[in-house]
Amino acid sequence: MASASMRQFKAMLRKDVVMELRTKEMLMSMGLYSLLTMVVYFVALSQAGAGFDPRDIAAGLLWLAFIFTSMLGLNRSLVHEKDQGCLEALLLSPVDRPVIYFAKVTGNLLFLLIVEALTIPVFAFLFLQGETIDLRTMALIPLVLVAGSIGIAGVGTLLATMSVNTSGKDFVLAMLFIPLIYPLLLGAVMATGAAIVGTPEALGVFWTGMAWVIGYDVIMLLASYGLYEFIVGA
Amino acid sequence: MKSSVIRALIALVVGGALTLAAFLGAFFWAGVPDFGFVRTAQQTDSVRYQGPFVQDVDEARYLRNFVGYEADITADGTLTEGRITEASEDGVTLETDAGDVTIAAADFDSAQVHGSTYGRPDWGQKIFYFHVPVAEISFIVFGFAAFYSIRFIMTRRREYDTKARVSMEVTLLFVMFTMATGILWTRAAWGVWWMWEPRLTTYFIMTLLVIGYFVLRNAVEDEERRALYAAAFGILAFIDAPISFFITRLIPSNHPVIERGGLEPPMLATFIIAQIGMILLGYAIYQLRMGEVLLRDRIEHAKTLLER
Repeated sequence: MASASMRQFKAMLRKDVVMELRTKEMLMSMGLYSLLTMVVYFVALSQAGAGFDPRDIAAGLLWLAFIFTSMLGLNRSLVHEKDQGCLEALLLSPVDRPVIYFAKVTGNLLFLLIVEALTIPVFAFLFLQGETIDLRTMALIPLVLVAGSIGIAGVGTLLATMSVNTSGKDFVLAMLFIPLIYPLLLGAVMATGAAIVGTPEALGVFWTGMAWVIGYDVIMLLASYGLYEFIVGA
Repeated sequence: MKSSVIRALIALVVGGALTLAAFLGAFFWAGVPDFGFVRTAQQTDSVRYQGPFVQDVDEARYLRNFVGYEADITADGTLTEGRITEASEDGVTLETDAGDVTIAAADFDSAQVHGSTYGRPDWGQKIFYFHVPVAEISFIVFGFAAFYSIRFIMTRRREYDTKARVSMEVTLLFVMFTMATGILWTRAAWGVWWMWEPRLTTYFIMTLLVIGYFVLRNAVEDEERRALYAAAFGILAFIDAPISFFITRLIPSNHPVIERGGLEPPMLATFIIAQIGMILLGYAIYQLRMGEVLLRDRIEHAKTLLER
């Protein structure tokens, strides 16, 4: 039985990846959106003055970009499913609902991580040039990215499944998603900021932030996993 | 009249009377606490002189709180007497009869600070008797909303959806009261209208979640789907409530916390009366709103029957 679920999971994930490779729609839109965010950041920081240290707010800016691009991507990934009737077909087929949930979460997580991995070098290139950066603590950033993105994808997939069936999809998703993701965002920004600043004391802050994020992931993924079954069939 | 309505009206009257009693108790019975000592420079008309004090200080960094006070400082075994003119993490500067003396923090052994205390009556504290009960009710009713949401998902009975929705409406009302009273107090006590402080932030997020619940409800056409979505979101949103409730005890926060045995008997009694009154008011508001919703449903039902 477990192997059957695994096969179904793989098939659904493969469907998402193949569709993305053909259209490149989600990665393109999310990537370009995050690039546009960088332009907005430049304008926002253009009057900051000479004494301004971009490292202080780099973590916040990065996660802001991730949050907005992820909302775009989440909305898109579920709109596809609904418009082309794929979700209905999945519900008709003998697949366990949690398998659908985890396949969708994994797909969204994958695309989100790719966009994040592309955004960080661009951000560093545009805003952190000439700043002293400790590469050893920077190496911890992927940990936060993965842990944070799991939470974003997990909660976001559930909320996007709801919001695609509402009038005013994007707004409803934002209204539900941002307050709900707040604890994770706080921990993720705390940890990322500590990794960028990179002093020895910062490591303690880093792991506190990570503990927040992981705790949030565990609680919210369990809750979302339990509720998805009811939501997707409604 | 239905018995639930009668019960609600009784709760409304008794709760209102108790809240009024708590109001009177807060202003005419419970004492006015002081802010503790304030500097002479901060004196206003309402400041009362309370007498001299001597404070032992065992770490140099605490001397920063006593700039302007007379102090006897022992450092490296020698005693220096004078008035503190400057204090930082590195050391402290004393103005003595023999001129300014700077003592490094590393040499510091101990100090005795002399001064006078002044009590400033903290009238802003009076809002405690209303703000705290209102906030407690908002958490309790939010809990009920989550409970009815779980019941709805388990049973799919429409009455639980209605109960969850009405609970959430009452939550919104009490959350707004809490925000209003809290902001007034913040201005009086901290001098600012808003501060991004753990308790305030998490509570603000809770407000947004409750508003989001109604945004979600209004955005879904299909009735059954609306009920399910709202129930699911209600459960997810409730996860923030315990975080907001316990956060002042978990991480450093400016928001005051009631400590066990921290209230004098008249204050405690007033506080308990206010709590009971507010619980009854919350119950009354919930029941009356519930009665109205049920009545509305019956009218709609009767209308559809007539149209046939």
